[in-house]
Amino acid sequence: MDARAEQKYNLDVVRWFAVMAVVYLVVGASVGVYIASELAWPVLNFDSPYLSFGRLRPVHTNAVIFAFGGCTLMATAFYSVQRTCGVRLWSDKMAWFTFWGWNLVIVLAVITLPLGLTQSKEYAELEWPIDILIAVVWLSYLFNFVMTLATRKSSHIYVSNWFFLSMMIMITYLHVVNSLAIPVSLFKSYSIFAGVQDAMIQWWWGHNAVGFYLTAGFLGIMYYFVPKQANRPVYSYRLSVIHFWALSFGYVWLGAHHLQYTALPDWTGSLGAAISLAMIIPSWGGALNGMMTLSGAWDKLRTDYVLRFMIMSLAFYAMSTFEGPVMAIKTVNALSHYTDWTVGHVHSGALGWVAMVGIGALYHLVTRCFHTEMYSVKLINLHFWAATIGAVIYVVSMWVSGIMQGLMWRAYDDYGTLAYTFAESVEAMHPYYAMRAVGGGIFLFGAAIMLFNVVMTVRKSFAEGRVEQARTATLTTVTA
Amino acid sequence: MTTNDWVGVGLTVVVFLLILAAYVYALYPKNREKLEAQRFIPLDDDKFDDGEKHGG
Repeated sequence: MDARAEQKYNLDVVRWFAVMAVVYLVVGASVGVYIASELAWPVLNFDSPYLSFGRLRPVHTNAVIFAFGGCTLMATAFYSVQRTCGVRLWSDKMAWFTFWGWNLVIVLAVITLPLGLTQSKEYAELEWPIDILIAVVWLSYLFNFVMTLATRKSSHIYVSNWFFLSMMIMITYLHVVNSLAIPVSLFKSYSIFAGVQDAMIQWWWGHNAVGFYLTAGFLGIMYYFVPKQANRPVYSYRLSVIHFWALSFGYVWLGAHHLQYTALPDWTGSLGAAISLAMIIPSWGGALNGMMTLSGAWDKLRTDYVLRFMIMSLAFYAMSTFEGPVMAIKTVNALSHYTDWTVGHVHSGALGWVAMVGIGALYHLVTRCFHTEMYSVKLINLHFWAATIGAVIYVVSMWVSGIMQGLMWRAYDDYGTLAYTFAESVEAMHPYYAMRAVGGGIFLFGAAIMLFNVVMTVRKSFAEGRVEQARTATLTTVTA
Repeated sequence: MTTNDWVGVGLTVVVFLLILAAYVYALYPKNREKLEAQRFIPLDDDKFDDGEKHGG
């Protein structure tokens, strides 16, 4: 029991964010499995517009990215900035405003998206009043984080905080510019951008949401929680510094690779692809830095299931940061674009990297913030295998489906006529769509196990009065 | 080339030079010890309780 941390830091808001992150993981993955099943068995639409794929798909993406991902980032950033700076959060009230504001955004998303209220911008579907709320809440998160850094007791700002800060600053800038719109009613607005400029702004936001929100932010998690869980310092601090600056300078150039073979000038896509390839170097440097932290202590993976999540996530990170640049190359993109290969690539990063490193950090946080061990270590192990097997089945089915789709679409016969109709390619996808739903279902099973395990751990902690004991314990020693 | 183009080129060159400077700083042998000492911050977070400034 860490009574000193309980009394010195604001762990309350971290606890709430951590538990809500687990709840949203289950909710978001459930909607994902449902819409994946709709694609395999369209009868599940039930002829209801509210349950149609088009309306539920943004519910899924918003739930997993902004609800699960956001709560995970807020829990981990608020926890690690306090621990690495040796000070309490600058403002408890502002931290609670961030918590309730962010959850209000999520509730509004769950209500408005099935009703069809959308700006139709990918990963930025929410209408303008909610966009303004997001900006205000996000700025409260950023301001509290910066002010906590400003009042720190350590001279040096640890690298995880640099990654978190980079994410917060860039997402503010990206969200505001991408969401610029002219409202025509309370729930209808039109983007101020049009045509190819709109497409470029959309993917400048879209890829940087991946680059900063889902990569830089989660690398912040990796750089704090992998050393902490392994109880070993990060392999190379200098490599982490290079990783940070290369990623921050490089990522903003990549968005154009989403628009190969469109009205965007050809050179822009080529530039995006070239910088994408260059980004393999820092990405792999970072992945190796995380993995090599276990150098000389690999045996920890046999018994520490939380660490397994983190190291597996780094393997997926390395794999998807190689796959992405390869898909950005024009010749590969000619085959992969608009196919399920892209969906497979995204989920390799989302399930394998983002979710797994987040899950590992959340297990770590739950034990530290509720001052008790997990209810069941065996269930963590079961979750690990469900998450890994589920992710692999999902990704492989989409790889096979996507490559087959691309090959069918561009196959010609001897007379120059398309060899397959579009409907034939859809029919050929069916087994892989069913397989994807099964893979997602296995991943969801793991997430449900995690929720059960976390709820039981919280109940155990309160039954034993662990948090109360930590709050009221008398501190007699000072660790130097 | 328009003014916009020249500003873009100028910014690109400045950014490139800045990242080069960051690499030189991180890899300069004399900075090795100073930077690598920061690796232990997450493991030693209780040391901040004595109210002194540490690290750097």
